[in-house]
Amino acid sequence: MSALPPIHLSACGTLTAFGDEHATLAALLAGRSALAPVPVHGVEGGDLVPIALCPGHAYDETLPPSWLPLLRTLAARIPETAWGTPRRPVVVTGSNFGVSHLHAYRRRGGENHLDYATPIHCVNQVAAALGWGPDVTVFSHACVSAHLGLLHASRLVAANLADEVLVFSFDFISPFVAGGFHALKILNADFPAPYQDRPNGSIGLGDGAAFAVLTRDRGDLVIEGQSLYNEMHHFTANRPDGTGFAHCLAGLPRLLAGRRVWLKGHGTGTLEAGRLEAAALSAAFPGAPLVSWKGALGHTLGSCGLVELALARAALHAGRAPGTIGSSAPGFSPDLALAPFDLASFDAVVCTSNAFGGAHAALILRHA
Amino acid sequence: MLERWITALHLEDAATEDALATRERLKDHFPKNSTRRMTQLGLCLGTTLAPLQLCESDTVVYASTYAETRTLEGYLDSFPNPSPTLFQTSIHPSAVQQNLILRQHAVRQFFPVTGDLDLPARALLVALLCDAPRVVLCGGEERGGWLLEKGRASDRTFAYALALSTSSTDALGRIALETAPPAGTSHPLPQAAFFDLLQARRPFNSVVSETRRLRIDWS
Repeated sequence: MSALPPIHLSACGTLTAFGDEHATLAALLAGRSALAPVPVHGVEGGDLVPIALCPGHAYDETLPPSWLPLLRTLAARIPETAWGTPRRPVVVTGSNFGVSHLHAYRRRGGENHLDYATPIHCVNQVAAALGWGPDVTVFSHACVSAHLGLLHASRLVAANLADEVLVFSFDFISPFVAGGFHALKILNADFPAPYQDRPNGSIGLGDGAAFAVLTRDRGDLVIEGQSLYNEMHHFTANRPDGTGFAHCLAGLPRLLAGRRVWLKGHGTGTLEAGRLEAAALSAAFPGAPLVSWKGALGHTLGSCGLVELALARAALHAGRAPGTIGSSAPGFSPDLALAPFDLASFDAVVCTSNAFGGAHAALILRHA
Repeated sequence: MLERWITALHLEDAATEDALATRERLKDHFPKNSTRRMTQLGLCLGTTLAPLQLCESDTVVYASTYAETRTLEGYLDSFPNPSPTLFQTSIHPSAVQQNLILRQHAVRQFFPVTGDLDLPARALLVALLCDAPRVVLCGGEERGGWLLEKGRASDRTFAYALALSTSSTDALGRIALETAPPAGTSHPLPQAAFFDLLQARRPFNSVVSETRRLRIDWS
């Protein structure tokens, strides 16, 4: 676990298939799902798979990108300052960036798709569209990417190398990535049921974008206990004894001593990872209610850590946490919360994400 | 000023070599029959990482602008029947993961960074802010095929790995980032130029971004 002082979260917001964090929280509290069947290869057809697309985002890539106006809408809510300058750097995180445009170019042609076709070309286009300066650092570590961005941003703030840092994350679903997960046979016709003990596992995918502004002293919530662990056991499987999950969580209970905590897990809907994750969380935080929101939003991939942080923050402010939509008993943990619950008696939430390669990430979000 | 001591440096320069030739040349650095599915970048990077004998407490910072170019090309060309193997191997940090998974080397902190003209300096900043006693800064690129023709890939294959320590014992050199006065002229240092600099063990002292000066001194 990283030895850092608590870092304040002075602003934070998200965009999902439901809208901003307020609309998304309301939908989740109402038990709604944004997932709908979509042909996995888009205009080229294929099996129907559960995907949650933001209104206005075309699944098959367009030019100009249909997701760019969505990022502009989200970015309009970021407190205005000279982002991308040395004292106010930007950290961008994701996993697919514009590679969907590479897929579009290869399948259908259109040289202009290449303007977005690599991570750095894509981020340069986004930075230009949002008016950022050149101080932009980009992390790409699949579905724990956002956690890396938060940790690096926290280090910049703690070392007084920045006054505030903008962490910005986005991942929009396309045939490129859905085709990959479908080929791995974890994205199929079934809808996800995170942490539910059932015969077959499955995930859904969803669009997601989010931002957070980290500072030393502004904001009513703080992040602490940021932890990472990389098993390097297998590309798409965890150590069967669950020690990777346990190693990542190891230092957190001590930080939370005396506090009542709830758990926003990763919970994509795959069986083995869900079982191991639920067991590790239950062992580290006995009795703490566990939720996953990917049964409603889909897995927002490289943005999920930041999207779900923004939703956890909104839940803390609203005083009510959504349950695990899409799942039913029996679950992998007796602490799995299927229905919304009141947060008045809780002091903090532990947010976790996992990724390819047995990568694990966790952090604590609590009132300052 | 942020600084660390360079306690090990390993380089692999495959230049414009064919991927099969690289595999044949480097296969003895890896366990028998383990290289069949490894990428050219994975092979080169693995050759530089192996002598460092990574341990769990090491932090690994990995820099690549284009990462698994040939695998990405193959994955795209596998549609409409996308290859699951090429999909998982095409992800950005795959070159590191291929090697650490092969050797079952867990690491607590792993930061894959991407970027362009100032990527090595950005990755170095990430490395210098880490609190691990030893940080391994590694990176590389892989010569592209059709993506190179479109200007979206590297034109050469290479990999590097530096062990950065807080202790000067047996140091090969020192690497530092200093705050530079704003608005000065900067000299971008992309991946290939950084690799050439390491290969020649050339001292370096220049502003590499708006407000950061990179210094490398060799013993």
